[in-house]
Amino acid sequence: MSKPLSHDSATGHVTGESIYINDMPVNGQLLTGRVVTSCHAHARIIRIDISEALKTAGVHTILTARDIPGENQMGPVIHDELCLAETETTFIGQAIALIAAESEEAAIIAEKLIRIEYEPLESILSIESAMAANNIIAPVRRITRGEVEPALRKAPHRLSGEMRTGAQEHWYLETQTALAIPGEGREMKVFASSQNPAETLAIVAEVLGLQKNEVEVEVKRIGGAFGGKETQGNHVAAWAALLADATRRPVKIHLFRDDDQVMTGKRHRFLSKYEIGFDDQGMILAYKVELNSDAGSATDLSRAILERSMLHAENCYYLPVVSITGQAWKTNLPSNTAFRGFGGPQGMAVIENAIDRIARFVKKDAASIRFLNFYRHEENNVTPYGQKIGNNRLFLLYERLMNSSEYLGRRALVDEFNATNEFYKKGLALMPVKFGISFTTAFLNQAGALVNVYTDGTVLVNHGGTEMGQGLHTKIKQVAASELGISPDRVRVNATNTSKVPNTSPTAASSGSDLNGMAVKNAIDTIKSRLAELARKEDIPADTPFEELCRLAHLNRVSLSATGFYKTPGIYFDRETGQGNPFHYFAYGMAVSEVMIDTLTGSHSLLRSDILQDVGDSINASLDRGQVEGGFIQGVGWCTTEEIKWDSRGNLLTHSPDTYKIPTINDIPADFRIELLPNVPNDGTIRRSKAVGEPPFMLGISVWLAIKDAISAAGNHLSEPALKIPATHEDILLAVNSLPLKQPLL
Amino acid sequence: MSQQTIRFLLDERAVEVGFNDSPELSPTTTLLKYLRSLPGHKGVKEGCAEGDCGACTVVVAESGEDGKLVYKALDSCLVFLPMIHGKQVITVENLAVRKNNQVILHPVQQMLVETNGTQCGYCTPGIVMSLFALYKNHHEPSREVIEDALTGNLCRCTGYQPIVEAALKACTNHGKDQFSDKEKETSDQLSAICRNKSTLTLKTPTHTYLKPFTLAEALSLRGLHPGALVINGATDIAMRQTKSRELLTEILDLSAVDELKTWNAGPDGFIFGAGLSMEQLKKFAAGKLPALYDILSVFGSLQIRNLATLGGNICSASPIGDLLPLFYVLDVGVVLKSAEAERVVPISGFITGYHQTVLQPDELITALTGPRHSVGTLLKTYKISKRKNLDIATVSAAFRLNLNDGMVAGIALAYGGMAETTKRATLTEQYLSGKKWSRVVVENAMKIIESEFSPISDVRSGAEFRKIVARNLLLKFYVETA
Repeated sequence: MSKPLSHDSATGHVTGESIYINDMPVNGQLLTGRVVTSCHAHARIIRIDISEALKTAGVHTILTARDIPGENQMGPVIHDELCLAETETTFIGQAIALIAAESEEAAIIAEKLIRIEYEPLESILSIESAMAANNIIAPVRRITRGEVEPALRKAPHRLSGEMRTGAQEHWYLETQTALAIPGEGREMKVFASSQNPAETLAIVAEVLGLQKNEVEVEVKRIGGAFGGKETQGNHVAAWAALLADATRRPVKIHLFRDDDQVMTGKRHRFLSKYEIGFDDQGMILAYKVELNSDAGSATDLSRAILERSMLHAENCYYLPVVSITGQAWKTNLPSNTAFRGFGGPQGMAVIENAIDRIARFVKKDAASIRFLNFYRHEENNVTPYGQKIGNNRLFLLYERLMNSSEYLGRRALVDEFNATNEFYKKGLALMPVKFGISFTTAFLNQAGALVNVYTDGTVLVNHGGTEMGQGLHTKIKQVAASELGISPDRVRVNATNTSKVPNTSPTAASSGSDLNGMAVKNAIDTIKSRLAELARKEDIPADTPFEELCRLAHLNRVSLSATGFYKTPGIYFDRETGQGNPFHYFAYGMAVSEVMIDTLTGSHSLLRSDILQDVGDSINASLDRGQVEGGFIQGVGWCTTEEIKWDSRGNLLTHSPDTYKIPTINDIPADFRIELLPNVPNDGTIRRSKAVGEPPFMLGISVWLAIKDAISAAGNHLSEPALKIPATHEDILLAVNSLPLKQPLL
Repeated sequence: MSQQTIRFLLDERAVEVGFNDSPELSPTTTLLKYLRSLPGHKGVKEGCAEGDCGACTVVVAESGEDGKLVYKALDSCLVFLPMIHGKQVITVENLAVRKNNQVILHPVQQMLVETNGTQCGYCTPGIVMSLFALYKNHHEPSREVIEDALTGNLCRCTGYQPIVEAALKACTNHGKDQFSDKEKETSDQLSAICRNKSTLTLKTPTHTYLKPFTLAEALSLRGLHPGALVINGATDIAMRQTKSRELLTEILDLSAVDELKTWNAGPDGFIFGAGLSMEQLKKFAAGKLPALYDILSVFGSLQIRNLATLGGNICSASPIGDLLPLFYVLDVGVVLKSAEAERVVPISGFITGYHQTVLQPDELITALTGPRHSVGTLLKTYKISKRKNLDIATVSAAFRLNLNDGMVAGIALAYGGMAETTKRATLTEQYLSGKKWSRVVVENAMKIIESEFSPISDVRSGAEFRKIVARNLLLKFYVETA
């Protein structure tokens, strides 16, 4: 298992031969689907007139809500999200009508001829205004331990404040895409770019008014998802299916980049308020935090995301007395959705910022305050939600990373640099991450597989997980080959298909290989036990080649196909009491980042990042490194240049890469060092590995903390820089300029 | 006789496209759309349709000197088909060699596989093509060169590290590959196409696309078609089609007019042809005009710089044009020609307002002229943007300073992003003239700068940020020159 196998599709990727939905050959019947959307954040729809548009040459149909044969609904958890708006529109970019035409040009001409009459209503476009209007999307949630108010009052020192973290656009390279092909009767096959084919199926069936066994959803590969296609890939699939059902022709929808950015939800922005009590040493005595998220116009996954942010509000720190409150607010913006980290980053950022403040207050290095407050092994090892921390890797990581990154020596160098440079300032920061692995919605922690072995000894693996670049299929292939004792090139992993493995969970929560790997192993165990029994009965020598054994099995009427199933043991969580054991285990990581800022312009450069990540026994170290590097850089983007802005009417201003800035190759650390923590097998998981998809994202916060440290240095660390996430050049410059004790430049 | 079809090499194959026989194609069909309409060419991807993401990157080879081919990475989403007339388009599908049922990957592909430089794979074809151009143009490139070659390729999965590693490992063979083996043959094929210098005249019921090969012909066409959109690299104009869905019915394409691509620098100053690409200009500026080189280093991406031209940049008269502040402090002259006349207008008079110029409907910008500044002239350019590279400036600036015995003998301060056009800080200049170049004086001058501008708040930043940056840049200039 140790030799890193390259990504299963790597050769296809580099030769351009890998097929994405938009590249699929379809017969000459294919129609282009186009989505007509609202231009008002909140308005009554008085009238929709499609009569002129329908006359456009090449247009086959135009659908509005009344044409939906099934239920007009695509809310994944709570049914509060219309597939097509009916009498009211609740955000700019909301789908109102669908066009199927022979060409994109014809569809665009028709779109311009559709007349929609609106009566604008007052809209809510910020968390503050949602709060003022008490516009909640779900009941408030709490996790508490002890009585926080008295504990805060008794603490020798207290700090309180507000922390804002921004929205983030997924910016998957492949925009939302689906191809729907009608079959016999009303059967529908959908090729979707979805992290959750089972849910795509459910929603397509629902809007079409079909039974689930009449719809088939297939996902070959996804051109990037990051959570953005966990629920919102369903939307284009439902729209394409409606058009295909109405025209009885294949229909493809491939969103234009700007439309994708305008129409789809983002990472939830948060406005959080906190109060933290601590002693002279910087030991935390009590922490109170209110996490307020902007859910957008519908629930989508907002409840689970808020829950995860609450479950990560303490990050790696033992909080003896704590109160965590979570509230999701409803606004007239696209419904915000899953994004790598799933609320974790927003929860952690608040306490990391608070600890940064404590360090400045007690005049100690922030890394030492983090260390002081880490969960311990034998005591102080229970989370606010009652789960005991086992196999705590924090001390192992801290010691190793402090050494390998030469933290203390570089701290001295940074101080020296800052003392001798007037306009450039350096900052250094360490950031630990503890990330709970499992869906916090317990029933989702299940997976299925179907393994077919053929008589030539080749193997076709079907499982419920989707391949979106993370290398899941490669890991599954390795697991299957290793469990069967054959070469990986004898194993193929099939496109994910709801007719092969039904009722699956999304590929999300970093759980893809954990769950599906186990399900595949389970199926293979069944086949292996059948083969072993055959060998015993028929006295087949142990050294018989696998293909010969398969041939013999077939001749002896032994089934070479088996399903597999897995459910994560021992996890539960009571949402009412905020207590339970929601996670199978924790994945740990730690990063040290060093930046330099220009106090005259607010620009920054990322000089070095050292990352140490705990992935258990890695199934594929090369793929795991890829997740660490990629996740970290995405986190850096969230913390620095990725800023989303709307105007006062709710129009997205940052609707293309012209104005929305994800990291380029120039934005990665000049010196970028990744290490996977060695010799830490994780019992009870597939090949004793750990999940790695999301945890490294939050290590990107180390860069934000380092920027804050550099700003602080501009004021000789005497005052607290005011900084939000992301810290853009504008934020950095304004923070520098508002340092009260800084010598004014003029 | 004008030519009514375009001819080019697609990978190895000679292709001729006429626009009247295919309803699917028009002269403004982009290279991206065209390629994706062909069987076996779905590798090239659209990620943004504005030249920001590079998923559509292809490499175009054209004849250079001595039968050598010049390889350039371009964003195919911004290239109109007639722009590739007489060139070879190399796509991701054609890099690997197929021999006896075996696929031998190109070194850049092989290394990308080995370093796991692909995850979701959607950006990969573009990355591969940028790496291929890098491979052809650089032997053992530095990290800086690698980063520059890949600035225009966004990847959301990998964090780029394995891609840098692949570039370092792959580009070690002096650009040798199957293409170098056939260089002479390819070059001859392209030269044969380019021998015909009669204007490409592509007319369809909806479009007129004119591509002349000489300046005289271009000027004559400009007179005959005053309503035609003049393009060269089309990086800005193409977006009116790809993003605003505008129908561009009449186009005059100057990209084949070689007379516009000359430059000269002598004792009297410099003259740059308006058709020079930003990348050509950058190469020229290296070592000779560091301030120009610096600003071009953060100008778009290599794919954009390979297309965008000097003339187009000036003509768009954008308040945030990267080069304009420098041209303002250099007091460059814009050479305007019509079939009948020629005039030279100072840049500050050429641009009259937000995207407004004095260019007449029968005129073309042919060149930019600049005086030679004395040896002691200090010249600096700055670009402040949210993201360091491949971003539009929030504020930009160029400063020129001549000191005489520590006293300011000559000074010019020009800012972009602070007003509706690029603007000189004339009051500040007046204040500084004749004064001692000292921190105290500069700090006083910073207050004047603040009073000279009333910048707006927009998506890129608030007005306050722009104001602070504008004055701080003067201090930065002082610190760097004192």
